[in-house]
Amino acid sequence: MDLWGISYELTSFLIDIINFFIYGLGWLLPGVLGDAFNGLGDWLASTGVLNILTMIVEALIVLIVAILNVITLIWIDRKLLARMWDSRGPFYVGPLGYFQNIADGLKLFLKQVITPSKADKLSYHVAPVVFIGSSILILAVIPLSPGFALSYERAPIPGGVLFAFAIFAIAPFSILVAGWAQNNKYTLIGGMRSAAQMMSYEIPLLLSIASVFLLAGSFNFGDVVEAQANIWFAIPLFIGFVVFLVCIVAEIERIPFDLPEAEAELVEGWTTEYSGMRFGFFLMTQYIRGYAGCAIAAALFLGGWHGPSIIPDEIWFLSKAYIVFLIFVWMRASLPRIRTDQILDLGWKRLLPLAMINLIIAVAMKTSGWF
Amino acid sequence: MQVNSEPAKREKVSFTGLVLKPMWATLVQVVRNSFRGKPNTVLYPRERLTVPPRYRGKHVLSFTRCIGCGQCVKICPNDCMWMKKINDPDLGKIERPGVDYSRCLFCGLCVEICPTDAILMTGEYELSAYDRKEICFEPEELRADDFPVREPKESTLLPALDFDRCKGKEECAKICPVHCIEIVEIEKTGRKKPEIDLSVCTLCGKCAELCPEKAFEMKEKLIVMFERPLPVFDPAECTGCGACSRACPSDVVYMVEMPGTEKTKPDGRKTKPKKLAVFVLEKCIGCGRCADACKFDCLKMVPESQLRESEKEGVRVE
Repeated sequence: MDLWGISYELTSFLIDIINFFIYGLGWLLPGVLGDAFNGLGDWLASTGVLNILTMIVEALIVLIVAILNVITLIWIDRKLLARMWDSRGPFYVGPLGYFQNIADGLKLFLKQVITPSKADKLSYHVAPVVFIGSSILILAVIPLSPGFALSYERAPIPGGVLFAFAIFAIAPFSILVAGWAQNNKYTLIGGMRSAAQMMSYEIPLLLSIASVFLLAGSFNFGDVVEAQANIWFAIPLFIGFVVFLVCIVAEIERIPFDLPEAEAELVEGWTTEYSGMRFGFFLMTQYIRGYAGCAIAAALFLGGWHGPSIIPDEIWFLSKAYIVFLIFVWMRASLPRIRTDQILDLGWKRLLPLAMINLIIAVAMKTSGWF
Repeated sequence: MQVNSEPAKREKVSFTGLVLKPMWATLVQVVRNSFRGKPNTVLYPRERLTVPPRYRGKHVLSFTRCIGCGQCVKICPNDCMWMKKINDPDLGKIERPGVDYSRCLFCGLCVEICPTDAILMTGEYELSAYDRKEICFEPEELRADDFPVREPKESTLLPALDFDRCKGKEECAKICPVHCIEIVEIEKTGRKKPEIDLSVCTLCGKCAELCPEKAFEMKEKLIVMFERPLPVFDPAECTGCGACSRACPSDVVYMVEMPGTEKTKPDGRKTKPKKLAVFVLEKCIGCGRCADACKFDCLKMVPESQLRESEKEGVRVE
């Protein structure tokens, strides 16, 4: 049973229930009206409509699973950070404070949404949509197992990894627009920093992924993971793995690379003027990006869902992603934020050469026929 | 000023020191915390910290110890205290201070200056309320008459003169071993008042033992760590109204009749004689209520050190 199958069965079941009433109306009503209802029922039950509805249900399931994971990640972040900082973290709402994030979200819903009077209204309202939308789009291509992946009639999305990183690269644009639109020096500086940081880290990131593509010979998540059946790419491409981790932390703007929202320097960075649930969505979107980054790291370097088959594939995949996230939390608790000049220095002078060396190693291994 | 043009040499931190050591420290910490330690956080509504004994929280006010001098109100830097007039069933008409905690900065000056240890601070820190008016505490809400004094101020036993009883027999001046008591004749009244030079006095208490009228009494007086202003009296302007005597919280001012100032009314009866204020400065706590009460500008408060200097120069005070 895979995701497409489950969604197809679910959609067919729902449409059967709806059609029961529609055909009932068609039977009750006389003449042209009855015929129209019968026609509507036939149209709903046709293959094309069913497939499209199946895709929507599929996307909803993927989104819900991802959001649940994100909530768990936020909880892990808060709880583990608290352990590292010798405090307790959330514990009031739910078991061990698991539902604290939901309570916080509800609180943010009740807050007033303020638009600064001098803000550029259109871009102020559009930028969050682009940021959140582009971040959620990444989730579409991440498979948890060969079965649990967004697909159309079980055909996997071609070039899923490329798509994910293309979408990842949209965010700096929306952040820059948001920082400009709020008409505030802190947000503008934050947006500029974000753009500079993300642009300088895109290149080593993509170079380290290019080595994975070389070894796997495909842009698909499924094929990349299948290529790691014998050995995880993190072992031959260890340099690439480290470069990837550093770059993905910079990409999702977590400490020690949270320059765009450095609390000590720029009030809340580029999200300063956003309030209420918009701010809440920004916060959640950053964790969505974090989840996506961890999942991609698990899929590209840690062998994805490969592991002893006692545990289901999905759990293998998620536990690997969580372990990557634990490393991020560990880094956040230990390392200080680095300066703007240092972050560019690190990106261009250290990570880029390392990524090139990694690529050369990958080419050497590919030409010598090891993969 | 010379500007140091050479930039400070920055110590090079290696990758190990910058990244690996902190991460190792965190790992050690989290392992230690998880297996042995306990979080430092206090789960506040469930557990409470015991505040240190000298914690400065909400005030308590002993109505019986307080004499209503209002020095706490005067010294308050944030102007958050005020004197409220109360008609108490036991204590009669009194004035007691209230505290507005929306402005209080918990400096403790009011406790420090209190001459009777009547206002004290407790460890009570839960003062939040939904309305600003709710944290504006009236004196009745602060009342705790028998609250123990945690840190009593140092005190001395001073011979306090009850001038109403004194008959000016000069016995005390004779018995005093250091000759610190001087009998001063007060003009126009025909009465004599023993004046004690406290800089010489050894506080032996012999005057109090000897006095046949029991006018001297050894009373405990707290030592306040603030310079005490004393009233300077100009008898030329005094009308003898007695406002200062009524205002004084510690029985410093006595109104003494001046014989020979009676006036004869047209119908032959005599009016009461005029009165003069006499100050027993040993008992004064320097609150300045007499100077505030005087309507004829014959009283002003002068710090004690200045007063001594002017005494040396021979200016007559009182």
